[in-house]
Amino acid sequence: MAPAPLLLAVMLAGYAAGALAALAARGALGRGLVAGCALVGALAGLLLGAVCLGAGLAPTFTASFLPLTGLALRLDGLSAFFLILIGVVGAAVAVYGFGYTEAYEGRYSLRWLGALLNVLLLSLSVQVMADNALTFLMAWEAMSLSAYLLVLTEHDQPGTVRAANWYIAITHAGFAALVAMFLLLSAGELTTSFAAMRAASLAPQVRDAAFVLALFGFGAKAGVVPLHVWLPMAHPVAPSHVSALMSGVVIKMGVYGLLRVTIDLLGGGPAWWGGLVLGLGTVSALLGVLYALMEHDLKRLLAYHSVENIGIIFIGIGAGLMFQSYGLTTLATLGIVGGLYHTINHACFKGLLFLGAGSVLHATGTRNMEEMGGLIKRMPRTAFFFLVGACAISALPPLNGFASEWLVFQTLLGGSAIPQPEVAVIMPIAVAMLALTSGLAAACFVKAFGITFLAIPRSPEAEHAHEAPRSMQVGMVSLVLLCVGLGLAPFAVVPLLGSSLAGLGGLAPTAVAFTLALPLHVPGTFGQMSAPLLALGLALLLALVPLVLRVLGADRRLRVADTWGCGRIGQTARMEYTATAFAEPLRRVFAELYRPSRDLSIDFHPASKYFVQSIEYRSEIHPWFERVLYDPLLHGLRGAATRVRRLQGGSVHLYLVYMTLALLVLLTVARWRT
Amino acid sequence: MDSAFSQLCVLGSSLVLIFGLILLWRRGVTAYINAFVWQSTVLSAVTATVGYFGNDRELYWVAGGLFLLKGVAIPRLLRRMERRFAAERELEPYVNTATSLVVSGLLVLFGYAITRPLVALSQLPTRAGMPLAMGLVLVSLFVVISRKKALTQVIGFLMLENGLALLAVLGTYGIPLIVELGVFLDVLMGFLVMQIFIYQIHETFESIDVEQLNRLRH
Repeated sequence: MAPAPLLLAVMLAGYAAGALAALAARGALGRGLVAGCALVGALAGLLLGAVCLGAGLAPTFTASFLPLTGLALRLDGLSAFFLILIGVVGAAVAVYGFGYTEAYEGRYSLRWLGALLNVLLLSLSVQVMADNALTFLMAWEAMSLSAYLLVLTEHDQPGTVRAANWYIAITHAGFAALVAMFLLLSAGELTTSFAAMRAASLAPQVRDAAFVLALFGFGAKAGVVPLHVWLPMAHPVAPSHVSALMSGVVIKMGVYGLLRVTIDLLGGGPAWWGGLVLGLGTVSALLGVLYALMEHDLKRLLAYHSVENIGIIFIGIGAGLMFQSYGLTTLATLGIVGGLYHTINHACFKGLLFLGAGSVLHATGTRNMEEMGGLIKRMPRTAFFFLVGACAISALPPLNGFASEWLVFQTLLGGSAIPQPEVAVIMPIAVAMLALTSGLAAACFVKAFGITFLAIPRSPEAEHAHEAPRSMQVGMVSLVLLCVGLGLAPFAVVPLLGSSLAGLGGLAPTAVAFTLALPLHVPGTFGQMSAPLLALGLALLLALVPLVLRVLGADRRLRVADTWGCGRIGQTARMEYTATAFAEPLRRVFAELYRPSRDLSIDFHPASKYFVQSIEYRSEIHPWFERVLYDPLLHGLRGAATRVRRLQGGSVHLYLVYMTLALLVLLTVARWRT
Repeated sequence: MDSAFSQLCVLGSSLVLIFGLILLWRRGVTAYINAFVWQSTVLSAVTATVGYFGNDRELYWVAGGLFLLKGVAIPRLLRRMERRFAAERELEPYVNTATSLVVSGLLVLFGYAITRPLVALSQLPTRAGMPLAMGLVLVSLFVVISRKKALTQVIGFLMLENGLALLAVLGTYGIPLIVELGVFLDVLMGFLVMQIFIYQIHETFESIDVEQLNRLRH
């Protein structure tokens, strides 16, 4: 593999140069250098991944860096896949950031924003290639810290610091769990190398403990319920291209880590591992979408959808782990491939949606959907890109979301192959939950797109919105093309994904499992699907509609009128359907979960209560977890801290007494210890 | 020869400890500074004695340095500070004199108890002085805790430093000169920092009573 080291060097050098250039240059030149270097790095990483995956061998590349530092890199199929993912989103984000950060000029530190973006991309790329725990943890920490600082970019906006604190607290709790896990995996040996961990034979209890710690640590990063609370806070307040990167790539590192540890290092485990992952995934998917429905902050809505999609990914992986424990390796591969497919799909469409939301924010200066509307006339291209992303995330064929969710469904339907009755019950329940999730997600994006882009502007800001600059459009277009491409070509993508898993944890030789054929056959189940034919069919169907209408003799005269105007003249924005109203039915259906607090105050005309002067309706939902799970935790922590604080009397003498007593006690112990 | 050496060591160590105990019953910074000067002088004499009997030339240099630093330079700075804070010379301790003396007696006993294994292990003729040095360390700590004025605490800290130096000389025939020089520098730096702090405290609170620092808590 001659090109691999070269590409690796180009990638590392690109990001490093970007980080340095950001600090050195200012203005448009600085932004250009940041974007250019990050683009070079991302494309090199993309190529590196593609070259290694195309070779179909694992591992294709090993490098031991600077012997004294203990850094080691190794590139196998899984790393290559995640490198591609980082490259795809990183490149789009880099180009988009050039235009997007122009508005930051003079307001925030653009130099640090650019430098940290490159550091984040660099640490992500190193992370997926790490071949020992030290490299892995260092890259992990660099990733967490640079993401933390990026979230803090708009530090003077309300809520930013709080969100960043939540993020860093939860991510560091996860980090602690990961350190403990790697210590367990090293089995008392003084080694951090992954090869030694693969070879180590551990007691079942130790393996279980390591798995639980890994699930906690990686779950905290991925944003699995109930560790997701940081996600809807931190993603909205970050600059939008950073949000895209965080949602598209950073949280996927949780998925990467979980796969690397449970499948590769531990080589799979008992059925309850998969069951736990599956259960958490189901709960995350459902709750994520339910909370997303209630959000009127466009970026928060997208952030909750990240929770949902991470849930879907975890469903695939969990089902795969379960099948693996029962020895059904083909189905296991199918489940994990489904999870991976959804991982890259989600990276594409969620990256796209966050970039689109960024363009809207850029144009209107608000994230509140209730103040938008009518943007499709003012920024038609952004609206179209957002629509593609919305269709993809709603799993509408022939876009990519459909392909991966279909695969996950097929895996779950294969659950009948397991001869255990309890499993036979779990899988259909998961199928039902996933179906409900998909439906609700579609409803949510009807709201997100409709309220934001359609109808009449609800505020002067929306009235005067403008189309996004060219560089931002380029960033979005690249992801649009990927969403379509990944959706149309599952027959080519799935075997590739399968080969990325080759050699991990005794999964099936995937060349057998999937073959490159136009309709995608799913081995072990009855399902098959051909995305291109589906797309063709849909296109025909759409073409048929006007034809049929014509045949049925529809009115052909052209009328110009307000949409849904019901014949009224002079509609105003106040007559429009609001996001709150759209979500109201679901708020009532799921009132048990949301526990909404409603506050309705109506001012009547003094003469008669039939003349209403003003209505004020306020409705808030309080996420259940924060109340039940985190409030007691924080309360306990605060109580403990208050108690410890009593030691701090503030008197210098008191502190001196502590020191002296400690000295006396130590001397006594040292003297009279046998 | 050896017995004279060991007698001299015990005598010197006892004097060093007694000058430390002066802090407990005398009132007034002048007396403290004088006690510190005498203590440092005796300490450098003990060091020179160990150098003479132990045939270690380097210890003469250490003794000279000790005298210059702790017997001359630091006391001069201390006297300057004393003049500056003349109005605050009355020093009321947290613990009264009688109790202080009883506690100090107990601390010296504790010092004997702790150093017993060291003394039992050591073959050096200087070993009998080690418990006294340890006693001085503990008593100096007690002084630092029980006095309110920052100036007294600084002197207590310097005496603690003397106790450690004495312990080092008696226990090992002195540490290498280069280390000793480092310790000198350390003491000087520590003292200068504390001096700056005291001036700052005085500027902020118009007093060098460290109880005032409680107000910093919120």
